[in-house]
Amino acid sequence: MPKIESPIARREFMAGMALLAAVAPALAHAKAAPSPYQPLLREVAQLVIPRSATPGAGEVGVGAFVLLALDHGLEGTKGFDHAAWLKTALGADFLVKPLARRRSALAALDARAFAGDAAAKPWLAIKHLILLGYYTSETGGSKELQYVHVPGRFDPDLPLKPADRAFSSDWTAVDFG
Amino acid sequence: MDFDAIVVGSGITGGWAAKELTEAGLKVLMIERGREVRHQQDYSTEMKMPWDMPFRGAGDSDLYDREYAVQRLNRHFTEFTQPNFVNDAQNPYQTGEDTRFTWFRSYQLGGRSLTWGRQAYRWSDYDFGANARDGHGTDWPIRYADIAPWYDKVESFIGVSGAKEGLKQLPDGQFQPPMALNAVETHVRAQIAKRWPERCLTIGRTANMTEGKPEEGRAPCQYRSLCARGCSYGAYFSTQSSTLPAAMKTGNLTVITDAVVEALDYDPATRRVTGVRYIDTKTGTRKTARARIVFLNAGAFNSVHILLNSAPGGLANSSGVLGTHIMDHANTLSAAALMPGFETHTSFGNRPTGIVIPRYRNMDQMDGIGHTRGFSFQGGALQSTWTQGNRMAGIGAEYKEKLRHPGPWRMVLVGFADCVPRATNRLTLDPAKTDANGLPQLRIDFAFGKEEHAALAQAKAEAAEMLTAAGGKVLMGFDQPGPGGTAIHEMGGARMGHDPKTSVLNKWSQSHDIANLFVTDGAQMSSTACQNPSLTYMALTARAAHAAVGMLREGRI
Ligand SMILES: Cc1cc2nc3c(=O)[nH]c(=O)nc-3n(C[C@H](O)[C@H](O)[C@H](O)COP(=O)(O)OP(=O)(O)OC[C@H]3O[C@@H](n4cnc5c(N)ncnc54)[C@H](O)[C@@H]3O)c2cc1C
Ligand code: SF4
Repeated sequence: MPKIESPIARREFMAGMALLAAVAPALAHAKAAPSPYQPLLREVAQLVIPRSATPGAGEVGVGAFVLLALDHGLEGTKGFDHAAWLKTALGADFLVKPLARRRSALAALDARAFAGDAAAKPWLAIKHLILLGYYTSETGGSKELQYVHVPGRFDPDLPLKPADRAFSSDWTAVDFG
Repeated sequence: MDFDAIVVGSGITGGWAAKELTEAGLKVLMIERGREVRHQQDYSTEMKMPWDMPFRGAGDSDLYDREYAVQRLNRHFTEFTQPNFVNDAQNPYQTGEDTRFTWFRSYQLGGRSLTWGRQAYRWSDYDFGANARDGHGTDWPIRYADIAPWYDKVESFIGVSGAKEGLKQLPDGQFQPPMALNAVETHVRAQIAKRWPERCLTIGRTANMTEGKPEEGRAPCQYRSLCARGCSYGAYFSTQSSTLPAAMKTGNLTVITDAVVEALDYDPATRRVTGVRYIDTKTGTRKTARARIVFLNAGAFNSVHILLNSAPGGLANSSGVLGTHIMDHANTLSAAALMPGFETHTSFGNRPTGIVIPRYRNMDQMDGIGHTRGFSFQGGALQSTWTQGNRMAGIGAEYKEKLRHPGPWRMVLVGFADCVPRATNRLTLDPAKTDANGLPQLRIDFAFGKEEHAALAQAKAEAAEMLTAAGGKVLMGFDQPGPGGTAIHEMGGARMGHDPKTSVLNKWSQSHDIANLFVTDGAQMSSTACQNPSLTYMALTARAAHAAVGMLREGRI
């Protein structure tokens, strides 16, 4: 539990939290309609963020999140069928290709998009949604990166070592970084 | 229902009016249009993690297009804070043909005290003297000395952390210990001071407490930077954490929520307001409440709306200037830069404030290029996290590994420029369009002029110069202001002045025409300065409440 220095505040806070749990309506988890693109998006997410010491994006449901996000127009995706476009861009046989070929095909598309090729541009929004899906998942946000909801203090200047992990809960960095 | 005083609105200023009037012994009714939000009980998203949210904090874009088309343009509006902002579809307003104005609002108990950025700055005599000096607008009937003790009172009560710098243009206040600058900011402060001794980078003065107030049930800040969700620690100033409990404690306060004030009742025989008319939005019924004095604290534009809607041509408008001279700071990202050299430094915790570089132009010398007032910067240095991946080519193991670690340091400076008061920037009631309550919609006509554009052009050039001098590599910067409303410092419309013929309020925030009517929110402002305004609204509210109580006691109103 968070550290609170004032005993009065702590008592009230606890009472408040208990009530909060009782009162707050459970947030319904939005669900997209089952999509024929689910296997494709799962695989593409996993290629962007593969398994390392922590699971990859496909494994933690980012494919389904991207489809939900596309369904609701996140990242300016409204009015264009990004999933269908991706399938065409990667080829109908993409999922049956060997891993190395899947990887190189996606890397090529990514490189074209970042080189400014207009025909590859829809990829940028899909990639943004994969990152959003992964680094705001419990695995990506708190196992791959660090997540601290209540830091309790501010240390303005600490040594940074190469192995140190970034914080997904650094909201200013998420906004402006 | 009969009261000594009615306070319309429960936001930053309404809370202060209620506290001061109840503590003086008056029986007060506070009327709030939005829903009740209880401290520590109704901050429904406060403890949610991104993975608890259906749209991971980014929110449902389709829904936002349909129902939050304006609010979504505000950086502070997220899936977590959405409950604390208005639904635009349900709360429409109109703009003139050439106007773009984004009106960011919070209609609930606490108003925008829950969502504000908490930056709390005093104004100086450069600011109160601005209109007299360059001839725009009308002279303020007060100066710094009139308001200084009230700043003291407000800062001590709400809890403002900050560093004393001894600046004439940004007077020091009653501060709790400051939050710290990070390594990059400390470096930039020193480099700027070396080259430009008159420019000061200091930590943002913020109504986030570094020391608790256990006697008021308020804990010190926990460095989460989740404030706009509501804070059960009570560590930042909001109506809920601070003024409302104080007012409740007196036993003199009655609060009604879900009640939209549509108009004031006015008795021409006595030239007094007798109370307010409001709509109970839960039942749709129209009701009235009566009191000896009325404080309008509905937020600048809504207080003007109520006055315009209270009589043909507007109530308390013998001057004819009601609704005119509205303003908002001209606001843009002046510079963003990479700050190399700090690769082995990091920080821990989320400091809920940034830095400020107070105004340094047009003080004792008129040295602004094309403008006669000030601009200042807010911003800070930060280390990138996963969102840097949005700009990075690559996929796979190496890409994931890169995003695992903090990225380069960046520094941003956001410019806020003084806005010149203009008669053509004004609020009116739309002649045809009404809202769900049947009330006329507000119509906003607003444009920035050459002064604001000139100030932001200079701000862009000088922001880049300062960050470059500190070793930064400037990536971008803008000199065009966002649409009006972007700074969320909309103000004016019932300006203060010496002369009843050219102003709506006198130096006590009291109507020249109607002695028992006070307007103590942003509507009273005669100029904008370039500081965030809410601390000044609070100080003026406390000052006006004190004056009003005195006048009541003396039988003058
Ligand atoms: C994201 C954000 C960041 C900000 N950052 C800062 C900052 O850092 N520093 C700063 O100084 N300012 C900041 N502001 C601006 C600040 O919030 C406002 O200046 C301040 O809240 C104004 O206080 P107020 O009491 O006039 O209005 P509000 O706080 O808006 O309160 C008005 C209240 O009146 C109610 N109301 C409106 N109309 C009616 C009616 N007809 N009948 C009954 N009730 C009514 C509303 O529902 C609301 O609760 C920020 C605002 C936002 C949204
Ligand atoms: S940063 Fe401080 S004030 Fe803001 S929500 Fe956290 S504890 Fe409260």
